[in-house]
Amino acid sequence: MSKTTSHRGGLSRRSLLAGTASLLASPMIVSSARAQAKPVNIGVIMPLSGANAQFGINSRNGIELVADEINAAGGIKALGGAKINLIVADATSTPTTAGTVAQRLITQNEVTAILGAFASSLTIAISEVTERRDIPLLTMSFADQITGRGFKNIFQIVAKASALGKAQLDYTLAIAQASGAKIDKIAIMYEDTAYGTAQAAGLRAAAKAANIDIAMDDAYPLGITDTTPLINKLRASGAQAVFPVSYLNDSLLLIRTMRQQRITIPAIGGAAGYVIPDFEKGLGEFAENVLSIAPANYDLAPDLTERFRKRFGYFMVHEALEHAVALDVLVQAIEKAKSARAEDVTMALRGAKFTGGWTKAMTGGAVEFDSTGLNTLSVPVMAQWRNKELVTVWPKDVAKGTAVWKS
Amino acid sequence: MKRWIAILAVIAIAAVLPLLLSPTGYWIRVLTFTLLFAAMAQVWNIIGGLANQTSLGHAAFFGIGAYTSTILVLKFGISPWIGMFAGGFLGGVAALIIAVPTMRLQGHYFALATLAFGEVMRVIANVWTSLTGGPVGLSVPFVPPSIAAYSFKQLLPHAYIALIALIIVTVIFEAIRRSAMGYRLRAIKENPAAAEVIGIDTTKVKLQTAVISGVLMAMLGTLYAQVAVFFDPDTVFSAASISIRVALIAILGGVGTAIGPILGALFIIPVEELMNDLFSSGAAGLSQLIFGVILIAVILWRPRGFITVFDSLMARFSSKARS
Repeated sequence: MSKTTSHRGGLSRRSLLAGTASLLASPMIVSSARAQAKPVNIGVIMPLSGANAQFGINSRNGIELVADEINAAGGIKALGGAKINLIVADATSTPTTAGTVAQRLITQNEVTAILGAFASSLTIAISEVTERRDIPLLTMSFADQITGRGFKNIFQIVAKASALGKAQLDYTLAIAQASGAKIDKIAIMYEDTAYGTAQAAGLRAAAKAANIDIAMDDAYPLGITDTTPLINKLRASGAQAVFPVSYLNDSLLLIRTMRQQRITIPAIGGAAGYVIPDFEKGLGEFAENVLSIAPANYDLAPDLTERFRKRFGYFMVHEALEHAVALDVLVQAIEKAKSARAEDVTMALRGAKFTGGWTKAMTGGAVEFDSTGLNTLSVPVMAQWRNKELVTVWPKDVAKGTAVWKS
Repeated sequence: MKRWIAILAVIAIAAVLPLLLSPTGYWIRVLTFTLLFAAMAQVWNIIGGLANQTSLGHAAFFGIGAYTSTILVLKFGISPWIGMFAGGFLGGVAALIIAVPTMRLQGHYFALATLAFGEVMRVIANVWTSLTGGPVGLSVPFVPPSIAAYSFKQLLPHAYIALIALIIVTVIFEAIRRSAMGYRLRAIKENPAAAEVIGIDTTKVKLQTAVISGVLMAMLGTLYAQVAVFFDPDTVFSAASISIRVALIAILGGVGTAIGPILGALFIIPVEELMNDLFSSGAAGLSQLIFGVILIAVILWRPRGFITVFDSLMARFSSKARS
């Protein structure tokens, strides 16, 4: 009994010593741990449910890839190796919800910046909140309004919708000319959403400038179920090329109906539904040689984008790529500012040129924001479906293959 | 007497609550939308509850209000306070236009006709780009903060405006319910043919309620636009997130009662937010799925609305007080 007591006493003395030692050392451990572990919260607002869910999930995947890579490589060095902590939230498809979610991330999670939200209307709604709270918002939404309202805290990583629409037409004319064909009559079909109308306006303006006759210019409601009347009109119009601007389901329906009716004129899509793996999966051989404009394409930087394919099992779609670039640029800005305060990060983002890392995957090879927050270096590319992959075929200086033009 | 004390106590609590929340925060935004949706559901309750006409097109009036005041600010710099009444007028006119052909319809047929009207307004707003900005939507301009310009840096004033709006529409609802018009509406609800026989001009009474409901809904559209700051045709003319939601709030709370829509909104809006907060970073759509399951469970549990829970609680409370 007494033996046990003394044994216990010895143990307690030893543990007391150890405890004292650890207590003495603990302030250092705690402080260094805190300096290292205070993670930087970054908000990710995407449509994770509803009609645009697939695009939202693609975007989230791209962001998670970069965040995990940066964290694995030791986090943000200027902040003592602070880890990136992504706070992902569903914007649904309602702008008001997107705004409320942004408010939540800013107040509850004290985010340094927000990335999002694919669809232009959601991004605009979020920007109304971030602008009033001085939180930087990085986006790859196309709409011209995003950087057209004089906001100070918004950064648009890609070319605007009007520029995309213009490139969609101008590149097509150049590709046709290069293969000895001439176009003087085109057809435009677009869904009546913010994205569809804005890009169609760019197409229309470019066609007028190039003296091209627009034989058909039709808007249709998102989620159209019967495209036969549109295709009949297309056949009657005598257009030599068709420019459809739509999300996935409509794009499948349009191209399938066209090809089934043996209308073989080239189709030049307007990004969105035309440049994701599901397009090829849904259309099979009908997808071959379909062209589409895109703000970026994965084959320009395979060393980076193959990491995405390895992890998620499909090629790095452009929204994933651009969001990856957005996060990379944001982290570079935090490194530069040596601070995770929103105002400091905004200052670091504005006017600076970001190179290296994921920015190499963009057409300009770098990212530079002008005073409105638009990335001035981004140039759209034309991609073509070839054997289940998207090959960049224009502009010539970045092209990875020659365009196939069959009229 | 006791009743009045209870009502005043509830209003006092509601008036203090916003002060306890961070004035720039998230929960005050949720509270503002909760009060706003409670008011919208109360307005729907005038036609849906008292006249028993299940409208699924109230987004039409709501959107007209939001667009009218915002366009007036953008194009002419007219204060949204004035724009609110202009919107209310147009909302009333729209309610009259739609009511004339649809008033003879009953039940499902009326619901479907109104649903179509909301969709028609959405299409018009999408196409009429020169006026509405088209599918891109409208941003309410940020002018120097002042009460006259209906512009505030924080959400706190918006929360109080929404609270006052809720009180006003609830008083209007209760006043109609207790008036001669309320009795006529009840007679029509029970048996339209019998109501005609005893000399009620059923068409006139239904038109009156439709117009009152349309005017108030449009005015609430202005409040919504001022809080949300950005909206597009799909947001304000939405069947799912406006028309059906206000009906759902009123039905879940207890149709035809003044407290029902308030209970419904106090449940639906915060729970929906909470679900999004908790689950949206997980599997896509999980938050909506869970929210849907909760709604189904609640409806199975209380098919006649939360008001029945409220009533039984009140009954227990008063019987205890007596004993």
